[in-house]
Amino acid sequence: MIHFDNIGMRYGMGSEVLKDISFNLKPGSLHFLTGPSGAGKTSLLKLMYLAQRPSRGKITMFNEDVTAAKRENLPKLRRRIGVVFQDFRLLDHLTAVENVALPLRISGGKGAEIEEHVEELLTWVGLKGRMKSRPPTLSGGEKQRVAIARAVIKRPDILLADEPTGNVDPAIAKRIMHLFVELNKLGTTTVIATHDMSLVEEIGSDRLHLQEGRLHMIRAGENVSNLPNLNEEKFDSLEFDSGKLDQNEFGPKPIAGDDML
Amino acid sequence: MTKAIHFLPDEKNHEATRLLPYVMAVMVYLSALALMGSMMLHKGFGDWTQSLSNRLTVQVTTADQETRETQVRQVMQLLRNTPGIEHVRKLNEVEIEQLLEPWLGAGNVTSDLPVPDILDVTVSRALKINLDALNAQISKISGNIHLDDHQQWLGRFLRLMDMVEYTALGILLLVVMATICMVIFGTKAGMAENRETIAIMHHLGAQDSMVARAYQNRFMVYGLKGGVIGLLLAFVTLISLIYLSRDLASGLVKVPELPMFEVGILLVVPIIAAAISMLTARITVMRDLRRMV
Repeated sequence: MIHFDNIGMRYGMGSEVLKDISFNLKPGSLHFLTGPSGAGKTSLLKLMYLAQRPSRGKITMFNEDVTAAKRENLPKLRRRIGVVFQDFRLLDHLTAVENVALPLRISGGKGAEIEEHVEELLTWVGLKGRMKSRPPTLSGGEKQRVAIARAVIKRPDILLADEPTGNVDPAIAKRIMHLFVELNKLGTTTVIATHDMSLVEEIGSDRLHLQEGRLHMIRAGENVSNLPNLNEEKFDSLEFDSGKLDQNEFGPKPIAGDDML
Repeated sequence: MTKAIHFLPDEKNHEATRLLPYVMAVMVYLSALALMGSMMLHKGFGDWTQSLSNRLTVQVTTADQETRETQVRQVMQLLRNTPGIEHVRKLNEVEIEQLLEPWLGAGNVTSDLPVPDILDVTVSRALKINLDALNAQISKISGNIHLDDHQQWLGRFLRLMDMVEYTALGILLLVVMATICMVIFGTKAGMAENRETIAIMHHLGAQDSMVARAYQNRFMVYGLKGGVIGLLLAFVTLISLIYLSRDLASGLVKVPELPMFEVGILLVVPIIAAAISMLTARITVMRDLRRMV
């Protein structure tokens, strides 16, 4: 589903923020993306939601080389990807319903159908009474839930979330994670960037761990501090270069009730 | 065709382009005045010069009335026998008084004022007359008979009118170019103001044409709104000018009229303004978006 082959990325003339990134995410897999602040998590997600092109290497998504894809072909690929942005990126002048309905409208959905669907989802994320509210009047947690609803409304093939539970209380966080897991069970390839290690442990999926722009795979249950030489930046045995793709291929992590995969 | 999606902030919250309809109104006002001026000049003076182009005037200025009358008869005979001349008519006293009225005022043409006899000659448009030969024959009757074909001053006048017309069209062209530049500037400012919104729309899978449609629709409305306001103001100005010129004209110059066909053309101006605005906005947006990822 998502295949990175020796990817490097830099902004302008700066140094590389992502270095020699290679991995393969199978359809229907669920992974956490972890790493300290500034490690390149958001940049990696940007490449995945096609907001940036890499400086080098090749990215294949939906069996298409997206690094070479023409600009006019990107929208139809982006419509298959749901993104929860860390800063929500809602349109302040639209209501919650209108924000969540945007992906459906962009895809050519019909008015009444869209509204019914959107209201149902907003009710599900606990925003029944805030449907006509505009983002500036919503709390951080409410905005986040609107952003999540917008990302999942079209049941995307790929769901990318950048700190999706950062602004919500534990009960809502659990509920949101449950939604992600359910979507994953239905076949959505999911990548969740988070600092919340308790959440990672609770779900128990493999991790893509970024440190200083380099990627390491950490299997469920493993601990970063247990990894050999990690703090000494000797990650050769763990890096996923193009020649080691087979051994570093991430399959869908079996999760409870994962019989649909 | 891409479906229009409402995603831009309301017009009143759009700082960069809020005043654009009013600037468009000024542009359309100037365009309408330039266009109308050009069309009225073209039509008014076109009709006038057309009516003069096949006319000759003969003046008999001999002081002695008896001799003058004999010379008038002789010259009329000569003109009627000249091939290519369709009609010769001597202007009566009332007509001559009417001609002098603008200069001397009504009732000021007295019987002791030396006034020449004037012949109005209509020439065939199909046949070309040798005016030099005709002039030579007339001179044989008397040196006090003058043939005026109006061409010398009419030619200069027409060149001046052409220049005025071209200037008006030049102004129109400049106004259109200024309008295009203004719309480009407004569109770019609007896009800069909503850069984040456009980026979000792209992330959600919107095509460039969807984004462009939102802008082109908005700028079409600006163009139409400004066009209607500008045209109304132009009509008020034109009607006021015509009203004032009627008071002042008093026969010296032809009173301008608001020709219906030309007014019909002016009614299309707001639509043209809307179309220019819409197309410019679309092209600008599409070109700018192409530079994005």
